[in-house]
Amino acid sequence: MAQFSIAHLYPDLMNLYGDRGNLICLQKRLQWRGHQCSIENLGLSDDMELGRYDMVFMGGGSDREQGLVYEDLLRKGSRIMEQIEAGLPMLCICGAYQLLGQSYIAADGQVMDGLRFFNFRTVAGSPRLIGNILIEANIDGQKVSVVGFENHGGRTIFLDHKLQPLGHVIKGFGNNGKDGGEGLIYKNLIGTYLHGPFLPKNPAVADFILSAMAKRRGVELDTLLDDSIEKYAHDQVKDRLLGSSR
Amino acid sequence: MKRLKIILAIMLGKLLIRLSRLLGNQGSNFPGAWGLRIYPGLLREMASRIRREIVVVTGTNGKTTTSNMIAAVLREQGYSVIHNRAGANMLPGIATAFIEQNNVLGLKEFDYALLETDEATIPALLREVKPRMMLITNFFRDQLDRYGELDRIITVINESLKDQIIKLILNGDDPLSLCFTSSGAQSIAYFGFEPTRYDVLDNRESREGRFCVCCGSELDYSRYHYAQLGEYSCQNCGNRNPEIEFKGQDLELTDKIILRVKDLRLESPYQGFYNAYNILAAAAVAKSLGMSDEAIRNAIHDYRPRAGRMEEFSIDSKRVVLILVKNPIGLNQSLSAVKDDINPKSVFFALNDNAADGRDISWIWDADLENLALEEHNIRKVVCSGIRSGDIAVRFKYTGFDTSLIMIESDLEAGICDALNCPVSVIYVLSTYTALFDCRKILLKLQKRSGQHPLIQPVRGQVVD
Repeated sequence: MAQFSIAHLYPDLMNLYGDRGNLICLQKRLQWRGHQCSIENLGLSDDMELGRYDMVFMGGGSDREQGLVYEDLLRKGSRIMEQIEAGLPMLCICGAYQLLGQSYIAADGQVMDGLRFFNFRTVAGSPRLIGNILIEANIDGQKVSVVGFENHGGRTIFLDHKLQPLGHVIKGFGNNGKDGGEGLIYKNLIGTYLHGPFLPKNPAVADFILSAMAKRRGVELDTLLDDSIEKYAHDQVKDRLLGSSR
Repeated sequence: MKRLKIILAIMLGKLLIRLSRLLGNQGSNFPGAWGLRIYPGLLREMASRIRREIVVVTGTNGKTTTSNMIAAVLREQGYSVIHNRAGANMLPGIATAFIEQNNVLGLKEFDYALLETDEATIPALLREVKPRMMLITNFFRDQLDRYGELDRIITVINESLKDQIIKLILNGDDPLSLCFTSSGAQSIAYFGFEPTRYDVLDNRESREGRFCVCCGSELDYSRYHYAQLGEYSCQNCGNRNPEIEFKGQDLELTDKIILRVKDLRLESPYQGFYNAYNILAAAAVAKSLGMSDEAIRNAIHDYRPRAGRMEEFSIDSKRVVLILVKNPIGLNQSLSAVKDDINPKSVFFALNDNAADGRDISWIWDADLENLALEEHNIRKVVCSGIRSGDIAVRFKYTGFDTSLIMIESDLEAGICDALNCPVSVIYVLSTYTALFDCRKILLKLQKRSGQHPLIQPVRGQVVD
């Protein structure tokens, strides 16, 4: 049995749309395999020593709350990219994903600096891109069907064409509604617009994150879980999007 | 020509209402939608025949209950009132109410119109009618996918209020009410509670509105009444609760609600703090409209819960409780009623994701379903149903429920029967909006078949609407 720990960044500010479901999902799937997992909340007043954690999660927030986080992380965040390069598993949803890029350009033209970890930028647009979404993700060399719900005004545009999207859009909008890409995957970091929340209905992605966490600890996650309920929920959304109902 | 179009629109609307009733539907939206299509100025025209005031009720929670209570007070005082049906609170639903209650010529006059209005519909409504008073009950996270974040709704409402001569009745315990300032021709009166013995000093339940609307700093709460509602101040800019005109005092929450507003003592058969807010808000509006204390007291005293707000059925000697759920806070309240019931029970949950439910079902993860998953709560089965039966089943699984207790049956009637056919004495039927009336129909049918009469009485704990 191993004891894992996950850092939840700014849970008070960045936690829209049931994002905490992602953490519940990771925690339970470790417990069901006989391991322990604690979740530590890190907020505006805390240090960001992320090297101590097995995984880092950050969700989306409303504009005002996102602004507070941008300022705080810009001050503290310089060492996070070293951890990402070293393979730290990280999941960034919506606003947190946008933050990883160069900048966010608001509707009134105001430019907010991002962490500049990756060469992309996000431009506010109208209308908001809202609805159920189905993508084919490329995870660990495997093609995996992934479903969720997206709701974002920002259009994310990759400026570096070597960046890998998490997957390509089958139904829905994705990064910008135009180029067919959705999210970003780099080593063990995933950025995405999908909530709903993201991991519970996509156990393959949850297990990708968990095995990355385990591998760094030298632990094997060999227990297969019964995912029939998760699969049912996944297929229900997928079938609905593809026009056949169950 | 205009008069002819109006008559045509009303006639068609009335016909459609009849027709949909015959088919057993609620028919609360599309008759109005067709009426507006024939004559787009229909609402404006009919609203001009309101003799006294048009009052709008909006906000996240408590719209239906509060506006029903206000309507009851107005009627108690002897006034005629146009009032739209619960939940039919966008323009077509409001138009349906006018069509239904008017005569064919559209010339009937009413004293008051009481319009329960969806938050995002406010700008469109204000372009058609000129209300003199608007109550905003509160702002909670609800069906965000239709609008984007709460901030945007508030901005949109604020913009539409510019240049309106309107009195706002706001919840002073909700920090988000400070977003509205009495600019131009608006005036504002706040309602709120004095410290009560039900207040808590620690509350994880709510996230919205915990940050100062003026400077963005985290608010300091000295007490929470309920969710984000309480006594707050901003250390940074000094922002705090506004001066309260309608103070709720001496609150007692037992199997009923008792409270006092100035010299007016109110008693209601409802339960729960959120309903105390509904009563206080209704009293604030009624008093602002000049209604007598006696009319308010009597109407609140006699007002009883309605369909889907903890309605009870009796089927094969089992008690069935139907509850509308639509957001995390409402769901948490319903769950505490389920939890407090010590009888062996089953839970049926119909989760739909149609427009009126909210397309985004992620809110089920913001509610504390974890609280239910303990063995001592005596839950024998959880039946997951509706268009998104899979999602609610996954949610229950990740609360720690034994998966052998979780069952997926997307068909509502089959699912309700599954929940009935297990060794329990109580069945809690939780449903989102668009499955509610179907669930109710099924329950009425099963009740009739089992040959018993409805027990019309509220139980402990109500849901918010």
